[in-house]
Amino acid sequence: MSTLATIECERLPASPETAVKPAVLTMPLGLLGFEEVKQYAILQNPDEQPFLWLQMSEAPKHAFLIVPPSAVVPDYRPELSDDDVTFLQLKSPEDAVIVNIVTLRSGASSTVNLKGPIVYNRHTRIGKQVIPLNASRFTLQYPLPALA
Amino acid sequence: MLILCRKINESVVIDGMITVKVLRIDGDQVRLGIQAPSDVPVHRHEVYEEIQRNNREAATHVRPDVPRLPVPLRPASTPTPAPSPKPTTPTTEPPTSTFAAPANPARAAAHVTAAPCAI
Repeated sequence: MSTLATIECERLPASPETAVKPAVLTMPLGLLGFEEVKQYAILQNPDEQPFLWLQMSEAPKHAFLIVPPSAVVPDYRPELSDDDVTFLQLKSPEDAVIVNIVTLRSGASSTVNLKGPIVYNRHTRIGKQVIPLNASRFTLQYPLPALA
Repeated sequence: MLILCRKINESVVIDGMITVKVLRIDGDQVRLGIQAPSDVPVHRHEVYEEIQRNNREAATHVRPDVPRLPVPLRPASTPTPAPSPKPTTPTTEPPTSTFAAPANPARAAAHVTAAPCAI
């Protein structure tokens, strides 16, 4: 375990000036189950904030609803391994952006995957779906609080 | 399936690049150290499978109405208006989470993943 670096995320107040500009995201390893799809775009509809869409740029052209964890859970701190830090070329904490995949279901049963977040480097636009070292503390299906 | 017997501290090499070493045996638990290039994902199988399954369920071809969150947790967020038609356009994404100061983020990975058994 001594070889594993630990970095934690914390939520920040939303501040437009720190928003990242390009909408393209490359995930060299793909998403789990979609390893062959490497190129994505992050799409935003102002009416859907804080949600975003992670859209495959290649076949099968699926999209994932994603959400910044700070919009859903108050204290979310996935710990990344040295390997993930190296892979994502994270040189400082501010390099990393975390989003979580939402599974939309009918009714109030939509959930957020906190166990396998997507982390990307805001500068290189390289991302990866990581399984944090402390993944056992997080649920795969965190209930999304829906407006009644 | 290739089946091999290994003792503690013995290892196997896969494709000249991946080493799997038996670190400890404790009852019915085996602690493995896995050395692999950083572009070779290594996961616990059951965790991999459940996330894979969840991803497949989350993937969609349509753009359904997205839920509205009851209380924005982020201070700068404003109440979300009712869902509207979805001309989803590429734009920027808002800032999301940032990492707290890591102990040593740029440490060159020795790349031995001694898997904690808790996960």
